[in-house]
Amino acid sequence: MVDLELVTRAASGDQAAFQALVERHRSMVYRVAFQFAGNHYDAEDIAQEVFIKVYRSLDRFRQDAQLTSWLYRIVMNACIDHRRRQRASVVAPFGEEAEQRMLNTPEEQPGPEDRAYAGEIGEVLEGEVRRLPEGQRIVFVMRHHQGLKLAEIAEALGLAEGTVKRQLHAAIHRLRRTLASANVSAGERA
Amino acid sequence: MTGCPRIESGSVELYFYDELEQVERASMARHLASCGECRQALDELTTIRAALASRPIVSAPLGEDWTGFMTRLKAAVAIDQRESAAHGPVGRRGGESHPPSPGATAGRSAFDAMAGRSAVSTVAPYLAMAALLALVTMSVAYVARTGWGRERGRTATPAPAPVARADVAATASPEAERGTVEAAFAALSEQHFERSKLVVLGLTSKDAQHARLEDWEYERQLASSLLTDTRLYRAAAEERGMTSIANVMRDLELVLLQTSLAAHSGPDDLAQIQRLIDRRDLVTKMELAAGI
Repeated sequence: MVDLELVTRAASGDQAAFQALVERHRSMVYRVAFQFAGNHYDAEDIAQEVFIKVYRSLDRFRQDAQLTSWLYRIVMNACIDHRRRQRASVVAPFGEEAEQRMLNTPEEQPGPEDRAYAGEIGEVLEGEVRRLPEGQRIVFVMRHHQGLKLAEIAEALGLAEGTVKRQLHAAIHRLRRTLASANVSAGERA
Repeated sequence: MTGCPRIESGSVELYFYDELEQVERASMARHLASCGECRQALDELTTIRAALASRPIVSAPLGEDWTGFMTRLKAAVAIDQRESAAHGPVGRRGGESHPPSPGATAGRSAFDAMAGRSAVSTVAPYLAMAALLALVTMSVAYVARTGWGRERGRTATPAPAPVARADVAATASPEAERGTVEAAFAALSEQHFERSKLVVLGLTSKDAQHARLEDWEYERQLASSLLTDTRLYRAAAEERGMTSIANVMRDLELVLLQTSLAAHSGPDDLAQIQRLIDRRDLVTKMELAAGI
């Protein structure tokens, strides 16, 4: 059964259809949530929240839309909401002002230098991905890990493609800087 | 690291991710042949991709076990359904504009089976009715035995004299009887909240990072024993329109359900339950409800 049919059935109260939808997409949702959150506690919370939101919004799903794009948008908003609650601060995730703030956000934790050594660059980079500002992290995860095109990300998040490009660029810039530091650190230890 | 304008413009990563138009891509390929800085940036992106690809992909809860996740989701959806029903028909959740499909009933059973639970929702109306009858009987007997309403002075209705249950219907007016029953029900709910606080406070006092399964075994067992009563109290409160008590009972029911069904012995479950208690502000709500 295709996604659209499952959504239609679930929207009319068919719990088996909703179950099938959850089972079909839960791995993707969990994977993105974990890549964003970096731990099982929060990933599970985010994934739960996503499917509750999906359940509540089934009747608002546009028949001509891609389910995966719709899901991505819900996942990403859930990630942002989750992060916002954790930080107990109100931060608008997107928009020009928020974008500038994201681009200028300083690193929160001690840099990777102390942790980096040969063979653990992946871990260092993974940690840095988790420290990226929300907007950069979401775009990077969607582009790099999920393989979505920038246009698809823009559609899923309701953003201009140029904004998505700038977020990706900022994320890449920071990761390259981290890679350089990790290499230097690894070289010093060698 | 960013001397070349093509790096500044983001063209390198767009090339790397194959996001450039054909003409731009060809132009970038020619540029790469002559720009060492851009080639280095491209190499770094390749390294970043390889390094991140070496990390494990996590796409399921611990142990690849979805049971706990699905159970919690089902419980949350069931509560959402109840809340929607309590707030009247809104779109799909009202269930009027979209009648259930023929497979809906079977589907509900399948979802219950998936979550490892019996099809409680299909018998919920009967449970609620039975709970209401039982609680009304208990309440009247309680009032008759203790004269609770007079002693506590909380009810607006005159306190009934301690009479036999059979006499109540014959002697009390419907309004007075309703008030008496509700006051008694509130008192019983208060006692239930007091018992349940043992579980809730016990859970919140544990160190989720270090607690072992046996450290909260008592709370798990107590949660299981209180769950059915909580469900009945909640159903009866909803039936009588006692919204404040019903809402707290609903939150408590969810916490007790998650506690009694905790699938893992690790800290995940306890931490999640603690967050749920915190998010729902359950301790405060129970204390306030005890004063209703």
